Amino acid sequence: MSSVTHDHAPGYGHADDGHAHHPSGITRWLTTTNHKDIGTMYLWFSFTMFLVGGAMAMVIRAELFQPGLQIVNPEFFNSMTTLHGLIMVFGAIMPAAVGFANWQIPMMIGAPDMAFARMNNWSFWLLPPAAILLLTSLFVPGGAAAGGWTMYPPLTVQAGMGMDLTIFAVHILGASSIMGSINIITTILNLRAPGMTMMKLPLFCWAWLITAYLLIAVMPVLAGAVTMLLTDRHFGTTFFNAAGGGDPVLFQHVFWFFGHPEVYIIILPAFGIISQIIPAFSRKPLFGYASMVYALAAIAILSFIVWAHHMFTVGMPAAGLLFFMYATMLIAVPTGVKVFNWLATMWKGSITLESPMLFAIGFLFLFTLGGFTGLVLAITPVDIQLQDTYYVVAHFHYVMVAGSLFAFFGGVYFWIPKWTGTMYDERLGKIHFWSSMLAFNLTFFPMHFLGLAGMPRRIPDYAQQFADWNMLASIGAFWFGASQLLFLYIVLKCIMHKGEKAPAKPWEGADTLEWTLPSPAPYHTFETPPVIK
Amino acid sequence: MELTKHTTDIERRKAANVRTALVFASIAVVFFVGIIVAHAYGGPLVGVAVMGVAVLLFLAFAIGRNLRSK
Repeated sequence: MSSVTHDHAPGYGHADDGHAHHPSGITRWLTTTNHKDIGTMYLWFSFTMFLVGGAMAMVIRAELFQPGLQIVNPEFFNSMTTLHGLIMVFGAIMPAAVGFANWQIPMMIGAPDMAFARMNNWSFWLLPPAAILLLTSLFVPGGAAAGGWTMYPPLTVQAGMGMDLTIFAVHILGASSIMGSINIITTILNLRAPGMTMMKLPLFCWAWLITAYLLIAVMPVLAGAVTMLLTDRHFGTTFFNAAGGGDPVLFQHVFWFFGHPEVYIIILPAFGIISQIIPAFSRKPLFGYASMVYALAAIAILSFIVWAHHMFTVGMPAAGLLFFMYATMLIAVPTGVKVFNWLATMWKGSITLESPMLFAIGFLFLFTLGGFTGLVLAITPVDIQLQDTYYVVAHFHYVMVAGSLFAFFGGVYFWIPKWTGTMYDERLGKIHFWSSMLAFNLTFFPMHFLGLAGMPRRIPDYAQQFADWNMLASIGAFWFGASQLLFLYIVLKCIMHKGEKAPAKPWEGADTLEWTLPSPAPYHTFETPPVIK
Repeated sequence: MELTKHTTDIERRKAANVRTALVFASIAVVFFVGIIVAHAYGGPLVGVAVMGVAVLLFLAFAIGRNLRSK
């Protein structure tokens, strides 16, 4: 978008900025149809769930601090690993990405709001009931779901009432995601400012457009899978019961047909954020814009044909193993295009290292590491050895935490001056980055060694030889958790306007439309669309 | 005169938004129902048939709209 300029149409120039007539108090948040309010609610919901899921991770790491059973019983431990996964994926990361989309997409494309403002409100307000269902499942007879976030039968067909609550929660979360995706696609396709062609869209919008297509294709498949699980549990069907002619492995195929694209649903918005931050702080246009768009599309398409690499050990014909191995490796090509384009953008740029850029570089370094261990796991014979070990846990946390979460932190620091009108505390932001970076690696890097040594995942106890690395990982986890309280403090300081007043464009190299608006962004923006030349 | 044009533009945009949303919502419904029907009533053939019919219907819908707009 760097080459895009815009004119103010007659009557444009934020004369509409004074139209901030909206209800106050709780009514504002319950009934709002404003994309900025809804974006804010998504981000706060996401952070709350991040803390809840994080607290569950602390229970897990506290139990694993030493070998033996110290704090919780094995059933509760299994519930913690299950709920931690479900909450972080569906309650924290995905809503955070939707929060960014709500705040940024209309402002970046020059639209006054999302296409379906009421549906937007409904999409958000479906989330709290789903979260309540998931969390209250801890208190029902039999406890919460404990078969892992993947919900594999036959274990989940036999599980207690907590599993039903989990299934309903997944249904609700899926409906919310589908409605959100339809809204985002319609907004981007139909509400762009005049002159903003598809190839002038900011990369963040492209990333979200492709993510929304992925969501519409795979969320119904997950909903179908858990519906079949529900009918197996209560209505006498045998989709996944071998005794009745069904097949438990079928669930794994259907689940991972959703599950692998889900990985990209989580990471593509992060790619979009990084693609906005790196050019801004390198003071250069993004290198290879078109190839970045094509790489996003290629990653999305390839994500549909690699699902069985999650289940190499279930028994597949050799041709199947080879196909899924090579198809998985193929994803490294468009991903490599993106990583090299980000590096080329930074090359000979006038780089400054403010907090958003630090998180972007941290993302680049650690996500590449996570991608590389993904390639290791793609090799079938290696995967058969490493399946269900801590190597896998290390791999996906490098992708999801150092990938998505670091990008989201970078995104918050990048856009919070626009959201609140106040600059964040740069010194604290840098402390937050370095603290998170060191603690993250202390937590998850040792897990590679544990996995290679054969420590299985999802167990509350382990053999003595794994004790040292586990102790380090637990110390790192508590350190990482504490670092996020600093992030909360930094954000609250901005919201309470305790800091320097933010100018309209605090970052010299930023050039998308939202930076033409005053800070904080007015309640209503672009009621008259800008004209893009 | 200006007001009428503005209202028509808004209505046209709203109609376009609803059409886009309906297309994507129907894709989601086909995927949701299709995966269950395919597994309830048979093997891969039913799945392929469901998807094939859905793709053909979407194609016919798109061609029909295109022809009508001309």
